[in-house]
Amino acid sequence: MNKPLLTIGISLALSVPLAAQAGAKEDFNEVYAKAQSTHQDAGNFQWTTTTDRMKAAKTSAESGDYDKAASMARQALKLAQESVAQRKQQQEAWRNAAIGN
Amino acid sequence: MLKAKVILVALGAALAMPQALAGATPEEDRKETVEYFKQMFPDVPLEEFVNGQYALNEDRRKQWESMQDFPPYEFAVAEGKEMFETPFANGKTYASCFENGGIGIRQNYPYFDTEKKEVITLELAINRCREANGEEPLRWKKGAIASISAYMASTSEGKPINIEVPDDPDALAAYQDGKEFYYSRRGQLNFSCASCHVQNPGKWIRADFLSPALGQPSNFPVHRSKWGELGTLHRRFAGCNNNVRAEPLPAQSEEYRNLEYFLTYMSNGLPVVGPATRP
Repeated sequence: MNKPLLTIGISLALSVPLAAQAGAKEDFNEVYAKAQSTHQDAGNFQWTTTTDRMKAAKTSAESGDYDKAASMARQALKLAQESVAQRKQQQEAWRNAAIGN
Repeated sequence: MLKAKVILVALGAALAMPQALAGATPEEDRKETVEYFKQMFPDVPLEEFVNGQYALNEDRRKQWESMQDFPPYEFAVAEGKEMFETPFANGKTYASCFENGGIGIRQNYPYFDTEKKEVITLELAINRCREANGEEPLRWKKGAIASISAYMASTSEGKPINIEVPDDPDALAAYQDGKEFYYSRRGQLNFSCASCHVQNPGKWIRADFLSPALGQPSNFPVHRSKWGELGTLHRRFAGCNNNVRAEPLPAQSEEYRNLEYFLTYMSNGLPVVGPATRP
């Protein structure tokens, strides 16, 4: 049996999950940071559902489940983007509903 | 030719004027709001609007009237009176901070302080009074502050709400800011305060019966069955925001104080009936 080849093979096989986890962690960090800054951009139009997803993402990351954490962060980002769109839309739209305008 | 230039410049200036400045005055807003609700509920006497859902729903009114034999806020009002009259460590009392010793003044709050350039709510004034006398501020939404505020409101029972927007651009900006907050849709459910309390009062939303905007602030602080205790208006603001999945703002934040300013101005002339009970 070719020992060096076997050693390389085992090493590669063991490193795959670690590399995958490192990728998921980076993915989470990137999406979470983006979700956080977008959530801030919503100002006083922030949604509670965004906050909930961000907390869930953080909890999953702390327990090492970066795939779930990244998924939650992506959901948070989508919600945060919708809340920013709402804030921008309401800057003028509120007048259409107001008595006295 | 010169005349044409003048006309063009005037037209340009008019178009460039921000819409907020071009809008209605607070008093015009209020009159239109009163007219709107009169038309929506022609059988409800104007002064009845302070009773919120009890003015619009006979079943709810009967339940409320039976509760009035022993109002659940009575102990809190008595406790508030005691706290109001108990001297601080320096020997002074709350009375030293307020006009007329704090008795019968609820109808004048909130007001715009033209020196500090901000809206002063009754609860804010209570806590500032404490701090000015070397005491720790109270928590904003419930407990002691609600009891003291309830006692002070009780001394104004029946007095017409009398909110002023002074001739000051900052006061008008605070009013407009509150108005914008009131009519802006927010939260994942995309509701504004007005979605429920201007456009749909008298209707049910799940198990809640929607009250009209007119007269709403006059019954605060309020004892809600849901809370099992008294709470301040800003506690209710936060609850409403939360219901539509909008992140609530801190009690006594500038946004909520401006919102209270606008909302209370709309009820000018209606009587103070706080504290009151609500489901």
